[in-house]
Amino acid sequence: MTQLNENVDVVVIGGGVVGCAVFRRFTLMGARTLLLEKGGDILSGASKANSAILHTGFDAPTGSLELKCMQDGYEEYMAIHDKMNLPLLKTTAIVVAWNQEQLDALPGIVKQAHANGVTDVIQISEKEVYRREPNLGPGALGGVYVPREYVIDPWSSPLAYVTQAVMHGGRYEFNCQVLNVQPESDGWELTTNKGTVHTRLVINCAGNHADLIDGMWRAPEFEIRPRKGQFLVYDKASASQINAIILPVPTATTKGVLLCKTIFGNMILGPTAEEQQDRNRADVDESMMNDLIDKGSRMLPSLTDYSVTATYAGLRPATEKKEYRIFPYPQEKWITVGGIRSTGLTAALGIARYVENLYREQFPALFALNEPRELQWPCMPMLSEYETRDFACPGNGGIVCHCELVTRRELEAAFDSAVPPECIGGLRRRTRVMMGRCNGFFCSNNVAEIVGDRLDNTIVVGKVE
Amino acid sequence: MSSQYEVIIIGAGPSGLAAARSLLEQGIKNVLLLERESEAGGVPRHCRHPTFGIQTFFRPMNGHNWAARILKLVQGKYEIRTSTTVVNIRPGGELEVSSDRGLETLRAKRVIIATGVRETPRHARLISGQRPQGVLTAGALQQFIYLKKLKPGIRPVIVGSELVSFSAIWTLRNAGIKALALIDENSRPVAFKPSALYARLMGVKVHFGSHVTKINGSERVESIEYKDASGQEHLLTCDSIIFTGRFTGEYTLIRKSHLQFQPETGRPLFDQNGRCSDPSYFAVGNMTHPADMGDQCYQEGQRVGRYVARTLSEQDISTFNVPVILDDVFRVSAPNVISCGHRSMEEVTLNVRVDKAHTGEIVVTDGSRELYRKKHRCMPERRILLKHIDVSALTPESTLSVKAV
Repeated sequence: MTQLNENVDVVVIGGGVVGCAVFRRFTLMGARTLLLEKGGDILSGASKANSAILHTGFDAPTGSLELKCMQDGYEEYMAIHDKMNLPLLKTTAIVVAWNQEQLDALPGIVKQAHANGVTDVIQISEKEVYRREPNLGPGALGGVYVPREYVIDPWSSPLAYVTQAVMHGGRYEFNCQVLNVQPESDGWELTTNKGTVHTRLVINCAGNHADLIDGMWRAPEFEIRPRKGQFLVYDKASASQINAIILPVPTATTKGVLLCKTIFGNMILGPTAEEQQDRNRADVDESMMNDLIDKGSRMLPSLTDYSVTATYAGLRPATEKKEYRIFPYPQEKWITVGGIRSTGLTAALGIARYVENLYREQFPALFALNEPRELQWPCMPMLSEYETRDFACPGNGGIVCHCELVTRRELEAAFDSAVPPECIGGLRRRTRVMMGRCNGFFCSNNVAEIVGDRLDNTIVVGKVE
Repeated sequence: MSSQYEVIIIGAGPSGLAAARSLLEQGIKNVLLLERESEAGGVPRHCRHPTFGIQTFFRPMNGHNWAARILKLVQGKYEIRTSTTVVNIRPGGELEVSSDRGLETLRAKRVIIATGVRETPRHARLISGQRPQGVLTAGALQQFIYLKKLKPGIRPVIVGSELVSFSAIWTLRNAGIKALALIDENSRPVAFKPSALYARLMGVKVHFGSHVTKINGSERVESIEYKDASGQEHLLTCDSIIFTGRFTGEYTLIRKSHLQFQPETGRPLFDQNGRCSDPSYFAVGNMTHPADMGDQCYQEGQRVGRYVARTLSEQDISTFNVPVILDDVFRVSAPNVISCGHRSMEEVTLNVRVDKAHTGEIVVTDGSRELYRKKHRCMPERRILLKHIDVSALTPESTLSVKAV
């Protein structure tokens, strides 16, 4: 392993979706940047597991920083996704009321949406709910229609942000954990397991570990209280059963369980909301998953006709408060971006802009800003089930993963990319390989062979003598 | 090469190759086999245990040798396109296929779907815990060991007690790996009773009535936890876990097609000759009855192949269909529809499965008359054949009911 001995303008700690977007923002501003991620790939923590929805912010607290970042993030995503070949599935969403109390809450949801500037949100009748979603179970009394709630690729998007940053000179290090931070006259010295880094500005985007990182030099302003969310991914055939994202009426404590198409052609059911101490471990749990299935099949009775392709769980970096916990420390040359609980995928680009403004407005000039005259845009591999994929194109090298229709050429392209995978999880998220209904029965042996020793090949442990 | 074929067979495993063999014997020209793997032969290619060949070649053979032999019977006579995946099937025998060439459309007068089976993997079983590497199925294990000479683990635990579970022990042994334990929820082996003794002779600890409650490990499996029949919890250090059996058909193509299927599984509706709701399409092999032995699939493939050959020259004269209705004891019937109104359709055989062990009489009626009654000892995941059911007097109003009494 090469020892790090870096001297940069900005270190971003944490390669979750927020860290990726902040890394991109400061790199595009012309800063010399370094992204440090303790996992084997970007998105190794909270950002690995979410519902992949691009939210309008219709139900976010009015006037909140969260709402502002979500709406700025939404707008920027819509402006740049085509340039990066990132897909968008225009699903719309319907908040469905299943009892009188929920029905009574609908006008309030519409009112809040309008107050949030999402003025195309309307209440719809029971009849209209079933016209739009004929497969829903009995008992729906009405709904709220949110026309611009969409679904995106939760992995390719942050990867695109990092890739664009790398194209503009940004650097990153995976498997690199910050162990200690020490203020210096012109910034910080960070000690990592891979060596020492000197930087003028630190931006802490460490997700479920953000308070611990702050705690290395000050009493943190907040405490991370991880909240686990489990999801079930249903077989692709099930996606035809719904059109919109089916949302429940939120309660005071939880946004509840939703049904949603994925950009990859599946349908997901989830999440749960379970408080836990452990910041790293997100187990799936049989009884909670069965409980999800009960809830899901009341909303969509045909759900039980389909098999589960995958199960996953993520940890939301929740804190004592609902609001984002973003704190600038101009004197100390440090910015903390914490408590991005569950809307991070939508808000990330907006958060990055917000952090940029914090720096511009409140910080002394720590480094020169040389914005590039022309931006370069990465062309990301298209993984959407709803767009033309590589298997339809000549010279693809043949299909390796039959469930997800991943070609040999797509695997090779991942290795040849600007941000190649360094672990099997990274390869899976970049290509969809081994993510399908057979859980790798057909392809894992071929993938193990193709991967060889190009990355930490955890699929196999040795050769047969 | 024309893209219009007489017959296209999807899947060059035992039943697909058998159907091809029959078509060849019937003198059918212009037949194409499509195989998504890089070699034809199907699952037996990576089954190196001698449970193949008795019924086809009258001697026990290892799977890969048997696969090579049944492949040889059609190789060179019919075109076999490997590394070619059918991605859509459309009315009237139109197929959309993907290969290195990209997408192509192929057409055939008849299409035989022989896409086979796979085991139910970890996620579909809703197993608790983390999601590390080192979690696989017996089929994946066989491919690692036999096709790639790679070890997916050296301290594995096996879950399940079907025949394939014991075959996993054998596969591991051939790679110099001893399974640490075999865990199954059932109170006795699903496979034949002496199989548990076989496991013990191989030095594998067997825990029946036990349920896997957790998989631990962030990158690779580090341990598993299970609860035994008495409710006691155990932690077992291991580096891999192999889920075996609970076979399910590869229905993906059918489920997104125009063909009629059973909504709860995606299994196609097909009659005693394998014919689907679109008469251009036929279904055959383990996809229709997960999962029988290779030889049994081969014989069935030959039978359906002969029938398909006949349909190319003879008018179809069946006039109505009768559904097969199962009571709760039964899970699967092949076929699940009976075509009637043809004088040669006098008798059918139903291949059924049970979820739980059942001993007693099985009765088949057409609504009013009893057509079959026989005592069976039924075990889960094993084929149960209800032979010689007289269907000559069925009417369009009939239903064929299968009941356990």
